[in-house]
Amino acid sequence: METGAQDGSSGYSTMDDYESLISTTDAELLKRAWQNEKAAPQILRFEAALIQRSREQIKLMEETVGEFTRNGIDPLTVSLYQMDLDRTVFLLRSYLRTRLQKIEKYVFHIQKTAELWNRLSRQEKRFAERCIEDMEKHLDQSVLSKLPSSYKSHLKQSSSSEEDDMVPEPRLDTYVICRSKRFLGAFQLDDRQFPVNIEADDLYALPYKSIKPLVETGQIDLV
Amino acid sequence: MYGKKGSELVKELASSEPGQLSAFNNDLFAQVIDECTGHLHHLGSLIRKIEELKKIEEIKKLNNQELEESEKQLLKAHNSGALIHHLSLLRNKRCLMAYVYNRAETIRSLGWAVERVLPEEIEEKLSGSEKEYFKNHAASLQSYMSELDLDLAVDMVPPKDPYIKVRVLEDIGNVLLSDQSANLARHAILFLRRTDAEQYISQAIFTLMLW
Amino acid sequence: MANYYDIDDVLAEQEFLPVLFQQGAEGVGLFDSGDDANEVEAGAKVELPFCLARDLHVRGVVAIDVPPYFRKVSRTRKEIEADAAHVDLRSRCQYFYELGLKIAPLAGDKSIGPFLLVAFQTRYKEVLVKAHTAASAVASKHLTLLTNEEVKLCEAGQSSTAAFKK
Repeated sequence: METGAQDGSSGYSTMDDYESLISTTDAELLKRAWQNEKAAPQILRFEAALIQRSREQIKLMEETVGEFTRNGIDPLTVSLYQMDLDRTVFLLRSYLRTRLQKIEKYVFHIQKTAELWNRLSRQEKRFAERCIEDMEKHLDQSVLSKLPSSYKSHLKQSSSSEEDDMVPEPRLDTYVICRSKRFLGAFQLDDRQFPVNIEADDLYALPYKSIKPLVETGQIDLV
Repeated sequence: MYGKKGSELVKELASSEPGQLSAFNNDLFAQVIDECTGHLHHLGSLIRKIEELKKIEEIKKLNNQELEESEKQLLKAHNSGALIHHLSLLRNKRCLMAYVYNRAETIRSLGWAVERVLPEEIEEKLSGSEKEYFKNHAASLQSYMSELDLDLAVDMVPPKDPYIKVRVLEDIGNVLLSDQSANLARHAILFLRRTDAEQYISQAIFTLMLW
Repeated sequence: MANYYDIDDVLAEQEFLPVLFQQGAEGVGLFDSGDDANEVEAGAKVELPFCLARDLHVRGVVAIDVPPYFRKVSRTRKEIEADAAHVDLRSRCQYFYELGLKIAPLAGDKSIGPFLLVAFQTRYKEVLVKAHTAASAVASKHLTLLTNEEVKLCEAGQSSTAAFKK
């Protein structure tokens, strides 16, 4: 909650202040998770705990705003709480939406890659399975059923293909803008001859592939 | 032949406006499928010939003989021909798949933007299978949203806050705004109505603080 | 193929190239007659789309002829060296860079890669400058010289300028 709405008559307790502090941190975490997910070409780990807490806080904020409105708290204060609520709800929705769109686009690849499949929430896994079903049926009906027998696969171009050569994948060598919270020192990127010094709070434009592990462990954030 | 018609289908995609669908080109699509049948036919007769020649090779081997040079060349030529037809089939498959797949992507984005029922002018551009795909996809999305009890198809742009946070850059003193009286002291951080703040922002008296 | 469904990749591979048949091919109606008995003889010079040419080249059925605009000694190279930004690459090949990158490993000419890079880098600046500043009349004339990849760059630049102004 933004500071500035210090109204003594609203009955703030120390517990409320503490909880506001926690939820501010969560708001930051949600924003970061949202930014990372938007910028990363690949789907990231599902922040189950954070999303759960965010949903609970949203509920709490909705109740608070309702209460304030009923008790005739001044419109400015109510507006500020409402703004916060709107922002948090937007981030949550956008975070989940971004993930769904990545799933839709790369569902065959995600299904084949255990590491990626395990990054999905339970509900996302169910959604992914339906996406696969819908797409397979559509491709089959429209194209594959009309082709000669050794060309009917939606994963292999023909039965003489050695591997699944029809599976779209995100490009991991796209450049992303990133920032580290801490000094990470000399970091060896794959295809550079000399290591890059990663200082805290500086912005860098790097290929996602080279910082992938750092993003996944939360050491670097995408912007 | 040899992928030309197939790429015409894909060219159609490339030349349409992003996010817009043209009518499903049933004619051209069917022509490409027909070409595939043609290639399969040629492939079949070439393979039969190849097997005949291979049999001859086997028999000759048993007699410690080899194929004549002309027979060897003939075998090579048939293999090359078969390869060309196989590659053409792969090419046509790719064009057909790319056509359907990329249209499906656009159809999915419609599912995010419109209600579960498509407007008529869009529906008449879709093939039968595409209409079904749209329905199925919308249902899959709906199922996910119900499980979470959260509507994701709203709130597509960040909320434009009626109140914004600004930092004062110059000492202006007390001003009467639409909903409050504020002291515009240098370095002060204030919450103001966006409409009130805009004139000061454009004069560089305020700077907008992003959340 | 991670980009199996990528429209630009599909179209880039449809670009035609001259090839020399190293051996005969049986039963191919390359001259559109669809006749079973049609054959191509060793030594025949034919134009094929890249997607076919590449696989046939790799199997030794044909030898790809590097298009003139990629060759070491060519008017295109001279024009790029002189004034890269104003060379009409689009008329040579709409998918100039994409095709060049695909041909380079097959052609055995190591200079193609660096040449593409230099051409792109020099023209890149011009493309961005025009994208952010040019009046529409100048801009549309300039567009006719650009390859597919460059047009996309230009459009991206223009849309971000427009978004910024909002």
